[in-house]
Amino acid sequence: MLRMTLAILRKDVKLTLSRGNGLIQALLLGLLLVFVFSLSQGIGESLSARNAAAVFWLSSAFCQVLVFNQLYALEEVNQSRLGLLLCQRPIQAVWLGKAATGFLMLLLAQCVFLPATIVFLGQNLSGPLRPAFAVLLLTDAGMCALGSLLGALAQGQTTRESLLSIVLFPLLTPLLLAGTGVGAQAFGTADPDGPGAWLGMTCAFDAIFIAAGLLLFPFLYAGDD
Amino acid sequence: MDTTIWLTLANAAVWIGLGAYIAFLGLRQHALSERLAQWERLQNKHDKDD
Amino acid sequence: MPAPNAFWNRKTTPLFPFALFGGLSFACCQYLIYCYAPTEAVMGLMQKIFYLHLPLAWWALFSFFVVFLGSVLCLFKRAPRADSLCAAAAEVGVLLSGLALLTGMVWARKSWGVWWTWDPRLTTTLIMWFVYAGYLVLRGLDLPEGRKTRMCAVVGVVAFLDVPLVFISARIWRSIHPAVFTSKEGGLEPEMKLTVMACLLCFGFLWAAVVWLRKRQIDSLAALDRLARTGATAFDATKE
Repeated sequence: MLRMTLAILRKDVKLTLSRGNGLIQALLLGLLLVFVFSLSQGIGESLSARNAAAVFWLSSAFCQVLVFNQLYALEEVNQSRLGLLLCQRPIQAVWLGKAATGFLMLLLAQCVFLPATIVFLGQNLSGPLRPAFAVLLLTDAGMCALGSLLGALAQGQTTRESLLSIVLFPLLTPLLLAGTGVGAQAFGTADPDGPGAWLGMTCAFDAIFIAAGLLLFPFLYAGDD
Repeated sequence: MDTTIWLTLANAAVWIGLGAYIAFLGLRQHALSERLAQWERLQNKHDKDD
Repeated sequence: MPAPNAFWNRKTTPLFPFALFGGLSFACCQYLIYCYAPTEAVMGLMQKIFYLHLPLAWWALFSFFVVFLGSVLCLFKRAPRADSLCAAAAEVGVLLSGLALLTGMVWARKSWGVWWTWDPRLTTTLIMWFVYAGYLVLRGLDLPEGRKTRMCAVVGVVAFLDVPLVFISARIWRSIHPAVFTSKEGGLEPEMKLTVMACLLCFGFLWAAVVWLRKRQIDSLAALDRLARTGATAFDATKE
């Protein structure tokens, strides 16, 4: 299963990055969001740390929807999905491979969004960074586990972007809250509770939805339609 | 505003909501019955033709 | 030739006791609410809305639980009838949680002077409303039947797994520690408790009747669609 996962990861990363259009659309959308929110600041003002963290995660969420739509759209042409299904490997490898690719793409995008947030929204990283980084990775992992599962759901739909957003966003609320809470601390908001509770929450979310992904993905992907 | 007005407002919201849903169900039921009757008429005609 | 409504009557019977008992007993509950239960000291008459608000919220949550169970049956037991149950329960759940939110908002406006507060329970109900409204949008899509059933079942399972996480995260977000789990019902007088229980039970009958009726409608609609596709031979089979 791991070999197949790695093969899918390699294939998807190559296809997404080599086509140029792949990640750029998602990146531009996220950057645009950060920029539009920066317009809400008056001269000399800057957004509060919490608001800035929320904007950062909003950009990431929209970026993630585009990334997973694109990853699953790769197999829409030429019935390539059947080709993947015919491999004598567990179907879950497809889910894991796509999730891993999405994770990489999201991290790449966040490498742009984070500086953009700092520059446009007037933030500085003055809080505890190590737990913030851990929560960022865990949140991304959870987003990708769920995004990869539901991305398969929207595959082949004409309205897939809006469909995926309305199903995915409310489900991601716990993660987005965690990301925003810890992000605000990293941007310098003092919180007596620290990031501990959020760390536990994101771990629980990841565990539940990775298990759900492994269990439920074959029903979505291997359908006989 | 008076408490009773607020209370009436909340109760009205609940019963209007439930009533609207039940009315919607009634409409669906009516449409279903009509479809069924039509199907049966067609079937009877078919039987007579045989 | 069957009588015009024989198709319905045969299957309508188990529905009536529920609907009748639910309706009548809920009318009796109005007496309990306004005459039997004492008026609350602090909130006054406005607290009466609680007797509707709580059943709405609890039965909405129960509907979502039914969607979860039905989805699991759909996926792992391949029970096609569970699909229509999920559809019916989700619809009723969205309606009830919407009404619970509305009554809660009116109550909050009168008691606290605000329409909305980010209480974990409220937040969870709102997020669930969004999730299941999305689920209903998914149900409304024009897709091949088997694929739609599987898609909806997967979302039905995932959505319910999310409920406790949303609740916990909303608690942490407002720095309310899970340790101080104060129960709203704890301070109720015995008469109030009895009234709430009665309302809860009676609302359950109404809930069951509505869900049952909706499920049958969805089943019948699907059967008629199938008939239209497969033609008269199938019709003979259903008559038997």
